[in-house]
Amino acid sequence: MILREEESAWQAEEFKATMVSLAKKNLFHDRVRFLVALIGIQFAVVLMTLQIGFLLKFMTNASVLIDHIEADLWITAKNLKNFDFGLPFSEQKLYEARRAPGVLWAERFLMGFSYWKMPDGGQETIQVIGFNPETRIGAPWDIVEGDLTDVKYFNQIFIDEADRARLGFPRVGDEVEIIGQRARIAGITRGAKSFTGSPFVFTSFKNALKLSFIPPGQTVYILVKVAPGYAVEEVKQYLAETLTGVDVYTKREFSWKSRRYWLLVTGAGIALLSTALLGLLIGTIIVGQTIYASTIDHLREFGTLKAIGASNADLYRIIIAQALIVALIGYATGMLLSRIFLHVARRAGLEAYLPPEVLLAIFGLTVLMCVSASIISIYKITKLDPALVFRS
Amino acid sequence: MSRTVLVLDRVSKVYGEGASTVIAVRDVSLELTEGRFVLLMGPSGSGKTTLLLLMGCLLKPTRGRLFLFEHEVSALDERTLPLLRRRYIGFVFQTFNLFPALTALENVELALNLKGITGRRARQQAAELLARVGLGERLHFLPRDLSGGEKQRVALARALAGDPPILLADEPTGMLDSRTGRQIVELLAELSRTENRLVFMVTHDPRVRDLADEVLVMEDGSIVARERAEEEMAAASRGERR
Ligand SMILES: Nc1ncnc2c1ncn2[C@@H]1O[C@H](COP(=O)(O)OP(=O)(O)OP(=O)(O)O)[C@@H](O)[C@H]1O
Ligand SMILES: [Mg+2]
Repeated sequence: MILREEESAWQAEEFKATMVSLAKKNLFHDRVRFLVALIGIQFAVVLMTLQIGFLLKFMTNASVLIDHIEADLWITAKNLKNFDFGLPFSEQKLYEARRAPGVLWAERFLMGFSYWKMPDGGQETIQVIGFNPETRIGAPWDIVEGDLTDVKYFNQIFIDEADRARLGFPRVGDEVEIIGQRARIAGITRGAKSFTGSPFVFTSFKNALKLSFIPPGQTVYILVKVAPGYAVEEVKQYLAETLTGVDVYTKREFSWKSRRYWLLVTGAGIALLSTALLGLLIGTIIVGQTIYASTIDHLREFGTLKAIGASNADLYRIIIAQALIVALIGYATGMLLSRIFLHVARRAGLEAYLPPEVLLAIFGLTVLMCVSASIISIYKITKLDPALVFRS
Repeated sequence: MSRTVLVLDRVSKVYGEGASTVIAVRDVSLELTEGRFVLLMGPSGSGKTTLLLLMGCLLKPTRGRLFLFEHEVSALDERTLPLLRRRYIGFVFQTFNLFPALTALENVELALNLKGITGRRARQQAAELLARVGLGERLHFLPRDLSGGEKQRVALARALAGDPPILLADEPTGMLDSRTGRQIVELLAELSRTENRLVFMVTHDPRVRDLADEVLVMEDGSIVARERAEEEMAAASRGERR
């Protein structure tokens, strides 16, 4: 009928832009309120970023060796919980694995808890890592000091620079005692920090047997490389079927299993994650309250807009636009703040891991937070009394 | 001959439910034609604002029918009513209700945008409308820097956006001193005569009666008196029509 032509104008992009620009002007008009909303979002963004960043870094620690070793498959004792809880099994499996089709190479790899005698006479729990020094499969990847070939010799070990304080500041060349045996520090590694906090001590497989409680003739892991032209999944399947008393994981599976263990089973990750969620919740409440208060303050204006022809949908658009604008600015400034905090944290030795997809996810959560925070305001608008604007 | 703009056919509005119902408008029938300046007077609580809301399609009548240019609008839904308001109706309020964050020009532009006029055309029309109400020199002032009379002029320019055939004003002089108030009413009267618009104004000020073509008096929800301007009555008695 009479209204057909109007509908096209109603849908016009330019008109939507007008609503957005009104939202922007209203927002910047109440400066204090805008700042409060920003602070709310920044709080949430910073808390989420730091917590998730530290958590992810924490998680990469739980699989740091797995991620750095170029094996496709890990053969482990049955029903292992994670990398740090490795259990010994017969070395015999190594030869069986080497005979399997599609196996390019297979190597022994040892991880065993042991004790380090401190200068004050106390003991420190350590994790001895034993690898084949000839192939260097499973060897530390970043050497700060020393020559890795030295580990072939009697009880020569490498420790990580991050653990030096914990081990009483030993230097290269120093003699130390591990479960009653003399060992000598041959070098220093970097970036090989364990998740459990017990320092990694790297040496040859043979030395590692002596420096830990793993009986001779046993190994803790078998690392397998799949030959070109073979599917990792197929070789895994074959090994799992032919080798008895062991489990076979792909690198990804074992890495994730180890991370997930610490994340879920121990509750350590849950605690960190719940802090991040708390940040999200508090952020939502602060943003929700400011957007609501702003809506209440502007109720007369919304009523006026309605009187001069705006539909409810137009009014929602303004509120959502406001929410998105504060989300955008809040995220950008919140990330800037996070960077500063992370910089300070790094100086204190606390690292974070924030891949792009996580930053994107935090942005998504921020937008979600702001939009859901405006729902009460939208409800309020639907109940708007048209007579309001006629009252003095 | 003047066209009929607005017809109310035994329109009633009841607020609330059960024991607390208020009959704000009671069986009002009216026929209003273009180019007329009509005043609505009456004691507080008599239903003037409610009647204005009904005429402005901001409220739906509880009973009765309302026609805008012969189209029945009382039955339309929430999605169509905003379109009607955009096209046919301009509102002027006692409290001006300008957007404090927007300049005079932007306030008028916004209304034009709502009516589908955008960009440079909107800017130019907004400036013209402000000049029309005598505010050509105040385009970039924020409402807080304008006097009451000037604010009401901006609101008038805004109501004129999109050139609606109907202007509805609820006590537009209520916040103004009598001299400024009279100037605004004179402007409204002029806007009805020179642009053939129906201007319907609620007022408590009997001193502006002389400017109107017609005065309606409302009491307890009903129109109890309808006085035409003297010259018109004289003309009517001579058998002429305006
Ligand atoms: N939303 C509402 N809910 C219930 N009752 C209402 C509502 N709005 C108005 N009323 C009642 O309807 C009657 C008419 O109110 P209305 O505002 O239309 O009067 P008015 O003539 O404009 O008065 P005033 O001169 O004081 O502005 C009054 O009794 C009022 O209390
Ligand atoms: Mg009133």
